[in-house]
Amino acid sequence: MKRLRVLFVLVVAVAMAATACSSTDESLLDTVQSNDSVKCGTRDALPGFAVLGDDGNYTGFDSDFCRVIAAAVLGDAAKVEFVPLETSARFTALQSGEIDVLVRNTTWTGTRDGSEGASFQTVTFYDGQGMMVASDSAYTSVADMDGTTICLVEGTTTQINVVTIFEFEGISLTEALSFADTDLVQEAFIAGRCDGWTSDSSQLVALRSTYPDSAGGPEALTILPDIFSKEPLAPAVTDGDTKWGSAVNWAVMATIQAEEWGITSANVDSFLTSENPDIVRFLGGAEDFDPGLGLPADFAYQVIKQVGNYGEIWEANITPIGIARAGTVNDLWINGGLLYSAPYK
Amino acid sequence: MQTDERLPQLTAVEKPRWYRDVRVLRVIIQVVIVGGVVAIAAFFIGNMIANMQRLGISLGLDYLTQPAEFTIPGSDFERTGTRLEAVLVGVGNTFRIAIAGIFFATILGVLLGIARLSKNWLVSTGARLYVEFFRNIPVLVIIIFAYLVVFLEPRIFPRFENAREIGPFIIYVRGVFFPWYESQANFFPWVVIMLAGVVAGVFVSRWRERVSEKTGASALSLLWGLGTFLAFAVIGFFALGGPASLTIPGFEGQVVVGGIRVSPEYAALLISLVIYTASHIAEITRGSIQAVSKGQQEAATALALSSAQRIRYVILPQAFRVAIPPLANQYLNLTKNSSLAVAIAYYEVTKVTTDIIGNGGPAPQSFLVLMIIYLIISLIIAALSNVVNRRLALVER
Repeated sequence: MKRLRVLFVLVVAVAMAATACSSTDESLLDTVQSNDSVKCGTRDALPGFAVLGDDGNYTGFDSDFCRVIAAAVLGDAAKVEFVPLETSARFTALQSGEIDVLVRNTTWTGTRDGSEGASFQTVTFYDGQGMMVASDSAYTSVADMDGTTICLVEGTTTQINVVTIFEFEGISLTEALSFADTDLVQEAFIAGRCDGWTSDSSQLVALRSTYPDSAGGPEALTILPDIFSKEPLAPAVTDGDTKWGSAVNWAVMATIQAEEWGITSANVDSFLTSENPDIVRFLGGAEDFDPGLGLPADFAYQVIKQVGNYGEIWEANITPIGIARAGTVNDLWINGGLLYSAPYK
Repeated sequence: MQTDERLPQLTAVEKPRWYRDVRVLRVIIQVVIVGGVVAIAAFFIGNMIANMQRLGISLGLDYLTQPAEFTIPGSDFERTGTRLEAVLVGVGNTFRIAIAGIFFATILGVLLGIARLSKNWLVSTGARLYVEFFRNIPVLVIIIFAYLVVFLEPRIFPRFENAREIGPFIIYVRGVFFPWYESQANFFPWVVIMLAGVVAGVFVSRWRERVSEKTGASALSLLWGLGTFLAFAVIGFFALGGPASLTIPGFEGQVVVGGIRVSPEYAALLISLVIYTASHIAEITRGSIQAVSKGQQEAATALALSSAQRIRYVILPQAFRVAIPPLANQYLNLTKNSSLAVAIAYYEVTKVTTDIIGNGGPAPQSFLVLMIIYLIISLIIAALSNVVNRRLALVER
């Protein structure tokens, strides 16, 4: 019996040792190129950012940036596999490798950079958190909302921010109800369960535009002027994969750089023979130039030709829902905004 | 044939090879299977740990000591409280749902089960329709329906401007407000006195039973027991100078102050779970009553017991013995189904865990803690039911 017990322990030890190590050193960039498809985490019903249409196509700001990444890495903007995710599950999906990149109006925060193991690339949209109330309520700013109930979506920075802003204003928050998705928040708001609905301003504009007419339509809602947090929205990849992170980063920055030079999807071919060597190198015309990013030489050309520059993506998706760009932080740096691309050289 | 004695010495030709020796093979198979299972588990766990280290996600339970950063509606939990405290608040809410749910579901379920066996066609068919309908709908559907269609319905729960006041009750979309007590000085001694009153009441009612058996007078044990308890409570109340006062809900600006609130989320979850679980308990009750042999019913009638006495003294006690294991199962189901509160923002322990994960907590450890909590709650319920089962078990001759 004692011999058998020793045998057992030996077998268990050997089994565990043999299976203990299981890490790969391959970058996601190589995996994506061999799969010939980018798995992009997204959502399915936020007007302006990601909407699943009846024809099965995703349209929106974030969806277009997924296509930008595919065009840069694989040469074809259509090679995207959209994976719709619940807000509370998006980081788990990224950590587990279910998606390659998360382009889902996600805020870049310290906690997400650190303990959630995500790595954020160039910010695509500088947003802030706002509050939306019924137009016929007496609130004109967040400071009026003492003792109110606020509804929001779970798993976002919204929850922490609203508690903090109420503390900062010195007013008390009766309840902050966090629901699993925006449909339930809308139902609760229509029923009067909450006095305020808080989220990123861009989302509030989008959600207001689709507020049902039976509840009063968009005019029944007012977005208060207070912006009470910084919400830089950026694509996210997992920590520890700098090759893939750089590839995503430069794909996104190509759109910003193109707009700076006035290159659009319509006139990009005429820029191939430009006198400016920076532009030629940017579009892949410099024969011997390889920065070692692992991207094809003409990635910027493919991005602009197939999807467009940053301004075109904004015009197609954000302008219809009514968010202004000129003169705000989302404008190019040459116009006083924050969008700035590093030089491709 | 296997014996424990030493096998007689076999020659080299007759002794079986080790790979054909049944005893050796038996041991080898068990070792291989155990090794295989351990290897699979170690592979998955090792893979997860290696990837978490690669991503820089923390592996221990330290995340529990960090501030939660969110508030929990319906409690005093501050955002600076630790995540562990948030989880404990969640567990408290789970108990609130589980205990109230088990209580009401049992009452409703037993009544429905008895109704199904009624001779009255209307009553039995009504109960049958109820059971057949609610047993076949997923609980989540009932919960979301109850919340969206009943509790968020402005005609039943109006907005603040049109809040209903029915006597001391206030009803509007934020919940139902009842008058409640508020503890003043000396509250705890009064609770002690009332507990003593309960014990005294039990003794008094048992004494009345004995008296009734000896003299034949009607026992009225319940009345006497309750009377003793009330005497203790009232005398204690006045002796301690009013240890509790009544608070009536009233409006103060935009909020309601005083009384106690039943939130629409809690009410929707409780009612849905009670309705669903009661339909299952009804079937268990019906089955357990029908399991009592017909001879018992006939004997009871022969002894001139009325039908109410027959049910109370002969049928239900025997049916109860049969029903306990399935009932305990339904109680476990109700407790686990309370985790569906995630859908309607009621902050029981699963919802608190998903909020912790949404605000940066590590997912594997959070869910492990959650599973252990449910395991402990379920084991407690199972242990209690085993105790009851053992005490009521029929002693076979």
